[in-house]
Amino acid sequence: MNKTGRKIWFYVVLTIVAAVWLLPLVMLVLSAIRSTSDFYAKLNLFSIPEKIQWSNFKDAWTDGNLGRYLFNGIRTCLIKVPLGVLISSMCAFALTRLNIPHSNGIFIFILVGMMLPVQMALIPLNIMYSKLNLSNTYFSLIFTYIGFGISLGTLVFRGFFRSIPKELDEAAAMDGCGKYRLYVNIIMPVAKPAVATMFILDFLNTWNEFLLQSVLITKDTMKTVPNGLISFMGEFSTDYGLLSAGVLISIIPVLIVYLVFQRQFVEGMAGAVKT
Amino acid sequence: MKEKLKAFSFLAPALLIYIIIIVFPGIYSVVLSFFEWNGVSEKRFVGLANYVKLFTNDVIFRIALKNNIIWIVLTVCITVVLALILALVLNEKFTGRIVYRSIFYFPYMLSWIVIGIIWKWMYNPNFGMINTFLGAVGLDSLKGSYLSNPKIALYCIFAAALWQGLGQPMLYFLAGLQTMSSDVLEAARIDGAGKINLFIRIIVPMLKETFVIVLATQIIASMKVYDIIYVMTDSGPANATQTLATYMYNQTFSYNNLGMGSTVATIMVIIMMFIIVPYVIFSTKED
Repeated sequence: MNKTGRKIWFYVVLTIVAAVWLLPLVMLVLSAIRSTSDFYAKLNLFSIPEKIQWSNFKDAWTDGNLGRYLFNGIRTCLIKVPLGVLISSMCAFALTRLNIPHSNGIFIFILVGMMLPVQMALIPLNIMYSKLNLSNTYFSLIFTYIGFGISLGTLVFRGFFRSIPKELDEAAAMDGCGKYRLYVNIIMPVAKPAVATMFILDFLNTWNEFLLQSVLITKDTMKTVPNGLISFMGEFSTDYGLLSAGVLISIIPVLIVYLVFQRQFVEGMAGAVKT
Repeated sequence: MKEKLKAFSFLAPALLIYIIIIVFPGIYSVVLSFFEWNGVSEKRFVGLANYVKLFTNDVIFRIALKNNIIWIVLTVCITVVLALILALVLNEKFTGRIVYRSIFYFPYMLSWIVIGIIWKWMYNPNFGMINTFLGAVGLDSLKGSYLSNPKIALYCIFAAALWQGLGQPMLYFLAGLQTMSSDVLEAARIDGAGKINLFIRIIVPMLKETFVIVLATQIIASMKVYDIIYVMTDSGPANATQTLATYMYNQTFSYNNLGMGSTVATIMVIIMMFIIVPYVIFSTKED
């Protein structure tokens, strides 16, 4: 087979596989713009809706309380993610740049946390927060999320920082640059791909987290998106158009974050892989 | 001394929060596993009774353990292999590869809850995509309500997890392939190494680090699988899709059996240590 022929086959096969991969999403979009009567008349998720019903989105936003859950989720992410990036990058900076004794041991100690199941901490955290009168507060939720994010953050930043040549530190020290300025003005700007990677990963993890949130926050108006969707599902269990619209709305913020940071993503991941 | 203090000030916030959120609760949870406690009344020390009961006299625990093992095997044999194949294909230089990468990566960005909701509809016996498709191609005999069949429910959930989870290991493999120098591949090609030979002799050994991180993260994630089962079957029908994580949750929050819940969590950690310890040793030994 000649080169062009092979190329065409390559594209055809890949495109078919990709199209199958997107089918669930197509189904979701078609259901979101379908009216309820249309849905029950056809009982076929792939038929084209007779009339596009945009009001599903509006109803999901207001009646389904989705706007509230989205706001809660965004606020949680906007506080948690930058704080997490700051704390874990500082930790990785200390481990790779500041000649700390047993830095490898400390790293191993922190790494183990990445692998422990959240379940392990559920009961003790629940007891701790209720004793401190912190149940149903965003403080408890965000503080817990930061704790669970430290391992991954340290891993990613440590991997990246190690690839930054030490000569940079020496040059900076000769110019009279202290450790704080080395971190703020030299290392962090160089580590932009790692910061971008952590922003995506951390945003995704925080936005999508379900189990901790369902235990720490029980008040409906304080729920973030995954638990909000569960309440939403319970309330409108048979209105599939509304549900689909709600699900679609809930993934828009994640899409935006991905599109903004995706260029630097693979590069930053390469740093994480090289532990 | 001043240097040391400065170094410590960088490390302290992370360590402090880590100890409060992870280390202390972890230890407390192990301690609780030796008690019988409903969360309200006085704790009663029972020694290893919780462990003994789980391993000798608890059918559901055995189902959960078996399901986690099945899940790990499926993940390693299907998810990891497909992710590697996809990464090799999408590592070739061709127009539009970023678009294709994004398509396969996209589901990974969705929460398990969203995945669960979507796939529950796909499997719906009345209007779901799977049954509609089977009907359309004349395979009516295969139609059915898959998620309520205890024999196959777990595998149906796994299909949904595969759709979500393929993008992450694919991205790891892509990142690993990018760190590989193209000179080596080129040299091998000039030496006349065939594609399969090239793959087995050069690519796989060079991806060793990536394989370790992918296998470790995938197996650990398989041990923790929870959300998607909660949404799709809530560990039913008749406990057929129970996993250690769902069982731990049920024991603790549905039956108020905090001691037993902690015991299941501790067992999860002990099992995971078999993966964690070698992984950590591997990933830090090159220093």
